[in-house]
Formats: sequence, structure tokens, C-alpha cells
Amino acid sequence: MAEVLRALRLYVMLQRASARGAMQYRMNTVIGILSGAIWQGTGFAFIWVVMHTFPSLAGWGLAEIAFLYGLRLTAHALAMIPLMSVNDIHWVVRNGEFDRFLLRPLNPLVQLMGNRMGIAQFGDLIVGVTLLAVAGRNAAVQWNVWLIAFCFIAIVGGALIEAAFFLALCSLSLRMVDTFALRVFVDDIFSKFGSYPMKIFGGAVEWLLTFVVPVAFVAYVPSSVVLGKLDGPWALVAPLLGVVLIVLAYLIWRRQLDHYQSVGH
Amino acid sequence: MILVEGLTKVFRRPRTFSGPFGALRTLVTRQHEETTAVDDVSFGIDEGEVIGYLGPNGAGKSTTIKILTGILTPTSGTVEVNGLVPWRDRSANARNVGVVFGQRSQLWWDLPLIESLRLVGSLYDVPAPRFETSLKKLRDLLGLDAFLDTPVRQLSLGQRMRGDLAAAVLYEPPLLYLDEPTVGLDVLAKEAVREFIVETNRLGRTTVVLTTHDLADVEALCKRIILIDHGRVLFDGAIDALVNQPRRLVVLLESEPEEVRGVPRDAEGRYVFEIHDDLPGMIASIAAEHAIRDMSIQEPDLESVIKGIYTR
Repeated sequence: MAEVLRALRLYVMLQRASARGAMQYRMNTVIGILSGAIWQGTGFAFIWVVMHTFPSLAGWGLAEIAFLYGLRLTAHALAMIPLMSVNDIHWVVRNGEFDRFLLRPLNPLVQLMGNRMGIAQFGDLIVGVTLLAVAGRNAAVQWNVWLIAFCFIAIVGGALIEAAFFLALCSLSLRMVDTFALRVFVDDIFSKFGSYPMKIFGGAVEWLLTFVVPVAFVAYVPSSVVLGKLDGPWALVAPLLGVVLIVLAYLIWRRQLDHYQSVGH
Repeated sequence: MILVEGLTKVFRRPRTFSGPFGALRTLVTRQHEETTAVDDVSFGIDEGEVIGYLGPNGAGKSTTIKILTGILTPTSGTVEVNGLVPWRDRSANARNVGVVFGQRSQLWWDLPLIESLRLVGSLYDVPAPRFETSLKKLRDLLGLDAFLDTPVRQLSLGQRMRGDLAAAVLYEPPLLYLDEPTVGLDVLAKEAVREFIVETNRLGRTTVVLTTHDLADVEALCKRIILIDHGRVLFDGAIDALVNQPRRLVVLLESEPEEVRGVPRDAEGRYVFEIHDDLPGMIASIAAEHAIRDMSIQEPDLESVIKGIYTR
């Protein structure tokens, strides 16, 4: 436990240092956050336009879809803000910087995470939380303390699911297997399919997105529970799955780390 | 301090193909290429020693250092560093060793040097008072004051290297690995780095493992060297024993007789005499028999001895 607290304290210290470094490029930071917000904003604007033509998609109204979209986006932002610098792993391995993480008395993954923060993802977070707040008021939901608490747990669970896939794919780069294209593809699956009611895809795709790449559990299942479209017990599956997957992903990371070969001789 | 026995590291990489569809074949191949970077290496290093770990490019020096520091896991063999197995007890081992890679800075690129040093202090759990004492000492020893507040990316190579050295010894590790710490430095900066290594070794009885291509570093710092090539140890012992040979008198003669007193001739056709005691007498007797055009005296030097070992 003391070791976990120490890692957390040092992680915060590293992030603050990286933020101080990044602040020397202030314009870059501002543009990063803005571009993140605009990117996601246009994504939702597209749905809005569609909903003007078709008032409901697979039985979901605009407010309901906005809630789903917001939940997915918030979970995505929470996963990627701390993990964004793990996305650089193929560079970090290739230029030998990863060696330095193995020379210091702190978990190398924590050091890699502390390299920089996901800036554009703060834009995602702003849009996601805004959508959740607005849609939550407009959708026909009887809010109570439990339901709000469930929303928080569901967001964390969703973030863990996405983080687990991301981490497992990134860890393959420790063996010089470049998975960047595959990561972009998986990220696309999470964002393109995760932000809509699964029903509209139907059949095989719905099955794939539930059991193979469990995108359905990130936002679709939790939102369905909140919006009264799905029964209570399903509510627990999503967060539990998140915990199981992140543990698995970390084990994969550890295993790949044993095969790390560094660069040069 | 360090005990290495039968250390071997084999790198295994998928075979790369060229030609049409080469990239695709590389991607799906199950064939692997194996290179043995370190081959059955054994040695021991005592506390307080300064060891020169030498070898040509690609000899396996860096691979050995990477195994000793815990970055790489060896294929076979045993290593014990200060009672620990480096790659298994990575974190504990990290606290015992300071590492400087001359080719690559370990400092935070965008932050002032002082902030990098503070971060290192925190990562190694150095208590604040001890950090301040350590920093004070290093500021004097390495002359850090002039650039302590400059972002690392704006430092000159010599300044950066001094910063890296400070970061490596800040937490007072008993063992220091220096991988080409003088590469690319000017004469004065090299001198500063050498003085620092001598001081660190003297003050804290710090054990130093040094790899370098600059033999002047070795002559200034090391009593013992380990020479490796193609992953194998070629020589392990005192430098004195290696260079303890007589000085030589090299003479160019006007005429070039087949043979002069049975001594060998060098590549330029000069005659090479070993000097034992009476140098003036030796010169006089040669001059009496032959017309001398030019002559010089060669001190035994490490470079030619080492070159001799590599090409043997």
C-alpha cells in the first residue's frame, strides 16, 4: 500500500513537471484543448443533424443518444488523460528512452505515464461532461443518489475497459511490434460504435461489439440501465468487466516487459 | 561488488527479407536470426575499483552494462551486483547504481537543470537535508552554478554531461556505470569529467565501471581493464602489466641494409631497437656503423598494445 501511495505521489510529481515543461509551449496547450473539444463537438453535431431528420434511432431520442455519447466520451477522456503518453511507446522504445525508466526505482509504466498528459483529451472531457449534464436534465430519468453514484462507477468502468485494450496493445511495442495502426483502429471502434445504441448495427456486429471487443459495456449498457431500457443486474457487469480487463492488460504488460530487448548492443 | 559468471546474451530477431513482398515476408516469417552479443563472460569487480571496460564498437560492452543495470535479461549466466540480481530486483538495484550514458541524456529536456536534479532526488527518496548537502557539494565539484537554471535542451554538451553526472551521483550510489562519459567533449570538459570521477571514487569509495573509446580516460582513471571483443573477454588485468615494456628507439637510416643487429623493421622501413639501459651508447654505436637520417623514441603506449590484442 505504501508503495502504491509512493507511486501515486511520484506520478503526480512527474505530471506536474511535464506540465511545467509543456507550459513553455503555451499556445500548443490551448490549441490542443480547443481542437479536442471542436473535434468531439462536430462528432455530436453530426448526430444532431441526423436526429432532425429521424426523431429516434432504434427507439432512442436525441437526449438519450446525447447521454450515451457523453458517457462514452467522458469515459474515453478519463482513460486517455493519464495514458496518453503510453501512446508514444514505440518512439520511446525506439530511441532508447525506455531504458531510463528501467534504471529508476519506480514502476516503468508509471514513469511512462508521467511523461506527458493528454491535452486534447481535456477538450473531450469538457464536451463529455457538458453533454451528460444537459442530456441528464432533458431525458426522462428520475434521478436519485444511487443512480448518480452508478453513473460515476459506470464511467470509471468504461474508462477501465478502454484503458485495458489500449494498454495491452501498447505493451506489444516493448517487443518492437508496432501496433500504432491497430490502436488507431481499435480507438475508432470504441468511438464510432461505442457512441450509438448497439441495436442500430444489429446481428453479428452487435454480438462482436458485446463479446469480442466489449465496446457495448463502455457506455451502451450503462446508459441503457440509467435510461430504464435494461434491468438492474446488467448495471454491475460493465464496471466489473473493467476491473477484470485492466488486471489482465497489466499482466500482459508485465509479460511483454520481460521480453524487452532495448536498442543497440 | 560485482560478480559475473558465464554471462551470455543472444538477441533473437525475425529474419528480414528484401526484394518483392519482402516486407510482407518479414511480417509473417517464423525464421529468426540470432546474434550472440555477449558470449560466456566472467569477471569480478571489488568495491572501490575503477575498471575500464573496453572493446571496439559492437563488442558487447553496452549489452553487458545493460544487463548489469537490469535493463536486459541475459540468456544464461549469473550476475550479482551488491548482493542483488539486477533484472529481478530492478528497483532495489536502481538505488545502488548511478548510470550515465554519454550518448543520451537522462535529464528532463524542457526543464531547468535544477528541476531535473530535484526530480531525481524525489525518485530516489533522498531526504531534503541530504539532498541540499549533496547538491552543494556537486555545485562546487562540477561548477554547476553557471547553468543550474538553464533548460537542459539549451546546455552545451559539456554542461549537459556535468548535469548528467550530478544526477547519477546525487543519491550517493556505491556503484557508478559510465558509458562513454567523455564522448564528443572538448579537452577541458574531458578533464573536468575525469577529475570528477577521481574525486567521486576517492571520497565515497565509489566503484566505477567505465566504457570509453578514449584511452586517455583509461590511463587517467583505471588501474585495471577488461577488454572484450565479439562478446568474449580477451584480457582482464592491470594496465601496468600490459604496458610494462621497454621504450623503443626508432631509427631511419640513409641506406637501407637488409638487416641491422637482427631488429625488426616497422611499416615505414625504420629499425626498431629496444632500449634497455645505455641510450647514448646505443645511439653512438649505431651512428658509428650507419648514416642516420632521423630517429625518435617511442614510449610503450596503451593504444598500440590494445590494437595488438584486437588484431591477434
